Amino acid sequence: MTDTTDTTLNTKGITIKRTAVTFNTDTDSPVEALRPIDLDIAPGDFIALVGPSGCGKSTLLNVLAGFIKPTSGSALVGDEPITKPDIDHGVVFQDYALFPWLNVIDNVAFGLERQGIGKQERYARALDNLDMVGLKDSAYKKVTELSGGMKQRVAIARVFATDPSIILMDEPFGALDALTRRFLQHQLLEIWQKNRKTVVFVTHSVQEAVYLANRVIVMTARPGRIKLDHRIELDYPRDFASSEFRTLEKLVYDQLDEELAKTFSLEGGQGYSGD
Amino acid sequence: MKSAAKPFGSSIVPFIYASLFIVTVWQLVVTFTNAHVALLPPPLLTAETFFELIISGELFVHTGASLGRVVAAWVLSAVVAIPLGLAMGRFMRFERVMDPLIELFRPISPLAWIPLAILWFGIGETGKIFIIFIATFFPILLNTVSGVKGVDPVLIRAGQVLGCDTDRALFTKVILPAAMPTIVVGLRISFGTGWAAIIAAELVAAQVGLGYLIADGMEILRSDLVLVGMITIGILGVLIDAVFRILNNRFAWGS
Ligand SMILES: Nc1ncnc2c1ncn2[C@@H]1O[C@H](COP(=O)(O)OP(=O)(O)OP(=O)(O)O)[C@@H](O)[C@H]1O
Ligand SMILES: [Mg+2]
Repeated sequence: MTDTTDTTLNTKGITIKRTAVTFNTDTDSPVEALRPIDLDIAPGDFIALVGPSGCGKSTLLNVLAGFIKPTSGSALVGDEPITKPDIDHGVVFQDYALFPWLNVIDNVAFGLERQGIGKQERYARALDNLDMVGLKDSAYKKVTELSGGMKQRVAIARVFATDPSIILMDEPFGALDALTRRFLQHQLLEIWQKNRKTVVFVTHSVQEAVYLANRVIVMTARPGRIKLDHRIELDYPRDFASSEFRTLEKLVYDQLDEELAKTFSLEGGQGYSGD
Repeated sequence: MKSAAKPFGSSIVPFIYASLFIVTVWQLVVTFTNAHVALLPPPLLTAETFFELIISGELFVHTGASLGRVVAAWVLSAVVAIPLGLAMGRFMRFERVMDPLIELFRPISPLAWIPLAILWFGIGETGKIFIIFIATFFPILLNTVSGVKGVDPVLIRAGQVLGCDTDRALFTKVILPAAMPTIVVGLRISFGTGWAAIIAAELVAAQVGLGYLIADGMEILRSDLVLVGMITIGILGVLIDAVFRILNNRFAWGS
């Protein structure tokens, strides 16, 4: 295999400094979603974020994307504080968020147009990125004609097209069937290994986390804090069946189980033990 | 494009059946009740009148006049209601101010405006267009508001992270296209309500138009003219709706 790694990579680290989020609701008492969190993410890291439902994973990602402002603390990409959504901070959404009034190639070229790139170059780059996810032939299809897996591949092509320095993904494969999911995991890894962008990937699947990431972070039940921060040194592509893989999976599961128990005893109240 | 042609072709068939059914019932009623021609002329006689009016060109004059009024009022409505609706959908404060006003005006039928329309604008074209304007305004406004407010927030976020860094860019690149299908539905519905209000508008001292044809037919005891006017309104209503549906399909990425 030839090394296609580009030397002018756009990839940056992320620094999360004492970042906390409390939601003020008009009806209920304030919801503390994130306890002050500190995290340093190196450029080119692939972080998997796992934790019980409602622990604040999406909240953290939304802070990094600039969709919500932290109640306290700050987060930086490179040396720049995150203040608002930015085309340099790519996001892949769980439900694809493709623009249904545009066809596939115009979806991928959307950000490039906003960057002021001319039509010819825009389309050429969009096609390259579609090719990367194996969808060059669908460039002129309507997005409503695509399957869920194809839609998410278009969304991946769209986020890589603008060459952002970080990519945030919130359960991007959560809505897909197991086979499609495996295929996309594989494809994402290949792309990431080529361009080494910093990825923060939220998932509910421990297997997915251990398969993809070089650093897995387990969050506690709400209010979210960091429970486990573990580097995964296994070589890619990883073997689900290997004993090393299994051991790592178990390590993550054990941490997660403790937190899940907390979540359920909180939600179940007295009814849980009474059953 | 194949898929667009098929529903259109197959949607015509039910109308043919419905027409046959109506004509049959109509003929049966005439035969069995021995209705007076002045009250209910048989279908055949009505058809004759219909073709006479077509050949003389009179029907086109009336239809053209009515259509012209509806189109003028509807365009005017769109020009006012769409920007207003966009602003209301976008700015919550503005909507909160406008909403009670609109809720108060909305239940008032266009018919109720006839006296004021005459007082304010006299019996010329302006009054008629005003009545149809009232009839077409609210469907466009309400659909535009709900179109803008109904834009999937995830699409807005997607727009933001893909470089729509100003309100203006976000609005033209994401919100407007996302709201478009709902706005087009509003335009379609309002053309229908405007077309249905043509009689009310032309009831007042019109010299031409389908409403005039109907009112005049009643005065000179020519029910066949009344029926021709009614049938023309019905058929055109369906045709116009069909045209809008085709237009709608072009924006039908939503469902
Ligand atoms: N806009 C909001 N207003 C009030 N509370 C919110 C808001 N957004 C999230 N929350 C609350 O903050 C907590 C964390 O939510 P978040 O969506 O970050 O969880 P999550 O870890 O992504 O969960 P899941 O795995 O189910 O997606 C939850 O208790 C949630 O109800
Ligand atoms: Mg979430």
